[in-house]
Amino acid sequence: MNPRALVRSATIVMVLIAVFTIWSEMSGAIKWFFALASHHWIGKSVLSLVFFGLLYLAFAKGNDELSLKDTYWLLGSVVVSGLAIVIFYVWHFLR
Amino acid sequence: MMSPLIFLHAIVGEIGLFAFLWVLIEMLNPTETRIKRAKIVAVIGVVCLLIAWVAGGFYYVNTYGDVVKPTIKESDFKWAHSIVMETKEHVFLFMPILALLVTSLLWRYDKELIKKRDARITIILLAGLIFLLGFAIAGMGAMIGAGYRMALEAGVI
Repeated sequence: MNPRALVRSATIVMVLIAVFTIWSEMSGAIKWFFALASHHWIGKSVLSLVFFGLLYLAFAKGNDELSLKDTYWLLGSVVVSGLAIVIFYVWHFLR
Repeated sequence: MMSPLIFLHAIVGEIGLFAFLWVLIEMLNPTETRIKRAKIVAVIGVVCLLIAWVAGGFYYVNTYGDVVKPTIKESDFKWAHSIVMETKEHVFLFMPILALLVTSLLWRYDKELIKKRDARITIILLAGLIFLLGFAIAGMGAMIGAGYRMALEAGVI
């Protein structure tokens, strides 16, 4: 198991979750695509796990030495993606 | 009456969060015994968060959308769904991935964690993040419940 690939995959998936969330609210076609899994939230849940797996496979053959820099990127992506989701829904509610 | 699925979602979710707090504490000064314990507790934490995901998701898709959401949206407490629930359901998706990541790192590094400072600090930071993020999400759950009760008291239905 490549720990650096796991952390890097998680970093990108956090951003992807925010992108999926905001994009599906802005576009009916994207929401419809996620809803192919019976409900848009289930579609996002499944796709986030699928992307985590695919990104891991893509990064797995690289360097496996985990550094704190990778961890800080992951923490940053969680904070930025979380704030993006909150700010988007506040804006969407108030507009 | 509170749905048993919501009760299950909240209880296993909080057990999962405390499991990762336990992992964090074990990693502050790891020994072989503490690492062994942390690996088991992390697996319990992941299983709890996965159950919370499925139970909460099942309730959200099958009951919340038909019963709770319309009541809140008809009331003066629309924000409880439009801001808090929308944020909660999407930020929650971070949790199982972070939990799987921490557990995988614990099992991958195992006894090496005693010497590998960066891996140990990564586990400490991520376990702390799971705990804090999880309790923020639990707080959002309480706000949604309060919004629903206030909507019912205001006589929306």
